[in-house]
Amino acid sequence: MRALFKRLNEASESPRQRWAHVITLTVGIIVFILGLNIRNRALTATSVYENLQAGIVAYYPYGWLLDTQGGEDYVFRVRDMTRPGFKTTIQISVQPVSSDTTSRSIADRLAFKRARTYTDYNVLTVATYPLATDPSAQSVAYSYSTRETSAFLEGVPDVVIGQDILTITRGQALIITFRAEASVYDSEYRRFRQFLRQLSF
Amino acid sequence: MMNHHTETKALSLRFSACLRLLLFLIRILWGGRLMSRPYTDHKFVPDATGFSTPGFSAFRINHMRLMLLLACLIVIPSLQAQTATDALNLDRIVRATVFIRQARSSNLTTACVGSGTIVRYDGLILTNAHHVVTSPDCPGDTIIIALSLEPGQPPVPRYRAEIVEVNEGLDLALLRITREFDGRLIDPAALPVLPFVDLADATDATLDETLTLVGYPAPSSQAASVITSSVKGFMDEPSRGTRAWLKIGTVSAAPGTMSGGGAYNRAGQMIGVATTAPTGRVGRTECQVLEDTNSDGFINNADACVPIGDFISVLRPVDFARPLIRSASLGLSVMPLTTPNTQPTSTGQPRFSRLFFAPTVVEGLPSTVIGAAPAGITSLYLFFDYENMTPNTVYEMRVTIDGVPQKDFDLPSVRWSGGERGLWYIGASGVSYSNGQYEFRLFINGVFAVSNTIAVGGPAQLLPSFSNLIFGVLDTAGNLQGNGYVLPVGPIATARFIFQNMPPNTPWTNIWYYAGQMVVRGDYVWSEGESGKYPTNLQPEGGLAPGPYRLDVYLNGQLSVTGDFVIAGADTGLAIPTAFDNLRFVRANTPEEIANSAPSKAYPDGAASLFLLFDWKRIAPGTPWTMRWRVDNDIFYELTLPWSAAESGVDYTTRLTAPNTLPDGTYKVELLINDIVLASANVSIGIGQMKIDQLAQPGGASLRGQIIDAETGLGIPGVTFVLINDQFSVSEFDWTQDKVYALAITDRNGRFEIDRPLEIAAPYSAIIAAQGYLPVSADGLEVKPEDSSPIEMLIPLIRD
Repeated sequence: MRALFKRLNEASESPRQRWAHVITLTVGIIVFILGLNIRNRALTATSVYENLQAGIVAYYPYGWLLDTQGGEDYVFRVRDMTRPGFKTTIQISVQPVSSDTTSRSIADRLAFKRARTYTDYNVLTVATYPLATDPSAQSVAYSYSTRETSAFLEGVPDVVIGQDILTITRGQALIITFRAEASVYDSEYRRFRQFLRQLSF
Repeated sequence: MMNHHTETKALSLRFSACLRLLLFLIRILWGGRLMSRPYTDHKFVPDATGFSTPGFSAFRINHMRLMLLLACLIVIPSLQAQTATDALNLDRIVRATVFIRQARSSNLTTACVGSGTIVRYDGLILTNAHHVVTSPDCPGDTIIIALSLEPGQPPVPRYRAEIVEVNEGLDLALLRITREFDGRLIDPAALPVLPFVDLADATDATLDETLTLVGYPAPSSQAASVITSSVKGFMDEPSRGTRAWLKIGTVSAAPGTMSGGGAYNRAGQMIGVATTAPTGRVGRTECQVLEDTNSDGFINNADACVPIGDFISVLRPVDFARPLIRSASLGLSVMPLTTPNTQPTSTGQPRFSRLFFAPTVVEGLPSTVIGAAPAGITSLYLFFDYENMTPNTVYEMRVTIDGVPQKDFDLPSVRWSGGERGLWYIGASGVSYSNGQYEFRLFINGVFAVSNTIAVGGPAQLLPSFSNLIFGVLDTAGNLQGNGYVLPVGPIATARFIFQNMPPNTPWTNIWYYAGQMVVRGDYVWSEGESGKYPTNLQPEGGLAPGPYRLDVYLNGQLSVTGDFVIAGADTGLAIPTAFDNLRFVRANTPEEIANSAPSKAYPDGAASLFLLFDWKRIAPGTPWTMRWRVDNDIFYELTLPWSAAESGVDYTTRLTAPNTLPDGTYKVELLINDIVLASANVSIGIGQMKIDQLAQPGGASLRGQIIDAETGLGIPGVTFVLINDQFSVSEFDWTQDKVYALAITDRNGRFEIDRPLEIAAPYSAIIAAQGYLPVSADGLEVKPEDSSPIEMLIPLIRD
């Protein structure tokens, strides 16, 4: 009985129908691939930031809030405002240096400064982080807790992990910082890697 | 307020049901998972792989906007109808009112308490000096700021603050929030915009005007208290002339812990600082034992008590605080380098003497001296000499009429705002003085010092009198020249007074004093007619030495008129003294660089420091002089001190500094003696005008609300509410900070607060984006003039 139905179907399917099936399947696969591509592009889309004075060209995740009004704290900062809790942040600061300044001394200075203002500030690791332009660049990973809500509301602190990449170039120290909530730090870190790959200074 | 929250929750339930239906429709229309980002016209650039990402459908965004608008249309008017009751905005005022606890850093036990008010978005708090400045009565060294987080609840410690500006005599201090409660430094850029109040022009206050007094009635155990009050009168003092104090009357008593809090007019502007200065005498009711300060396990009289102060009955007008606020907000600091600018410390016992009455005050001096006043007078002043006074001295005046205490005429315990010695007055005009025997009793640090009486009543009599004493130099035509109260060094000084109803042959006497010592006395018989003006001269051998002078004129053995003047400035043959000369500004980084820098009246940009230099001539040490600085005509520094440099000299140097560079503006310096401006100079920096600080505008409405999950009705924590500048719409918003008016992030209950007040009639836009939810946006969010603050929003988000 089953073989009979199969034969009837085969007999009733014209070549045109068979092509229709093939085309449908092909279009489906193409649409699926296109969808994946669009999704991928959406996830990796970037906007550009150029600061000729500081000599920085950066491609940051599309849709993150760009802030260049940080005064002495930073020349560039982007935050993912859609994230719940602590907003994943990438920022670049520029500091003057002397001929005796090293990346490590900047790291120490930052640690002293942050220890006074950040709750539970704790340096996790200090290591070399070779950059194409500076093989001796330093990386400082740290953690602290912070609360971003109004002082009048019931804000609960978030535990944040941060990483600074410290390099000295053209007579100034460049501090590239990535911060994310501890629970999503690893998954968000790919954005920072992509940011670093595309950063020129 | 609680009812208000209940109404909000009811509305939220109504919305929850509506939005479930909407959710169903949207999911059918859009097929479930939609946008991951809420932007529309963001400019894309190719990424490293050469791809570019298309924008999201404006159609979908518009639908989301429609949803938010729907929510706003329903929720906001409903809530506004409930809150639109008055323009006072008590909610904002209470939030801006802080409880101040001065504590010992060793164990954080309380040393002093009081109230204060946030007067700028960056955490500047205006309060009284007496409960924050370290003193024997308030020995703490840490200032803890507690905020009123919930209406009707006691304040919660949130921050620590430091004194940035203080005038102990005026009993005003400005604190700046600098640390978290746990002691960590706060990055000023990270401090949220705090609710703050606007300042009124206190000179506009009217008699019987309704005021609202806000402060904390008990040491941290009670919520902020709001007391309705009214202006009962004005008291005059030399510290300002008229309206140095606003007398208030309250239905219920305002305790001393409300000292430092604000009093507000009907427009919600702060008009004065509630002030009472505790004398700190243990055993009085105004001192309370609150904590186990000696760690013996008991709270008893062995523990240090916290001075609370008497009930509030006067306000210090906020106009006194403006220079402090201006200086602190700009970070400007004036430092005289030639002589120290510290107040001299007096070693003797403070003392009042020579009490007398005058009907009016002319340029700080009594118009005439009276021993009795006719019925119906509306102004009366008590004058007296003082010595050995300091800014920490507390004085008080109590008045009785026929032995009955008269609170309306009293001045409660307040700090001394004059110098170490001189002539003082206190009184009021525009007040009805009923008939009777008035006794004015003065107290120093809570102890009776001296008193005087005057009878008010009966018909006005045309008695002989001298009045309106003025000093100067006679020109060749016999006219009195000069500014009236500061004369240059020279051979002769002339005083002129008005005489009225003088019968012939009346005995009269004039006595001239120099530096408190009598130098000339003349006893005469009157022969100059019934009424007119009469000049009398002081012409000592060797000429007039620089310094303070006084003339007393007696009639029939009774003091009739008296006045003080100062001799200062070289003898140039002119009546106007040139005590200060050659004022100039020099921009330099250090005092050593001054010699290599040329003076200028305009600098193209700011510098870290600016130096004022001037020469001076014939100023006697000890002569009170005043240096006053203005920027764009607003005073930001004024200090009166006894002159402590040599009698003459050059290049008196004063340094003006700012944390980074001096802000653009036109700076003006005035040098005064006896309240007479003797020299001034201007310098322009940058564009010669201060830049407008938009955050400093306190007006507008507060916006707060809750963002909830449309399905569960529960608040969503960590969601960002982006309020876009009124210059841009959602479609024009490209996620750059300069287009953001304010940001808010929801707390664990989904509640948020926009920390900047919204301007009236400005069309704001908003975007709310949270991962896992469909973003919503809206244009045209506008606060109408009739709306009142705070505006509450309930915003449901739909899961994507």
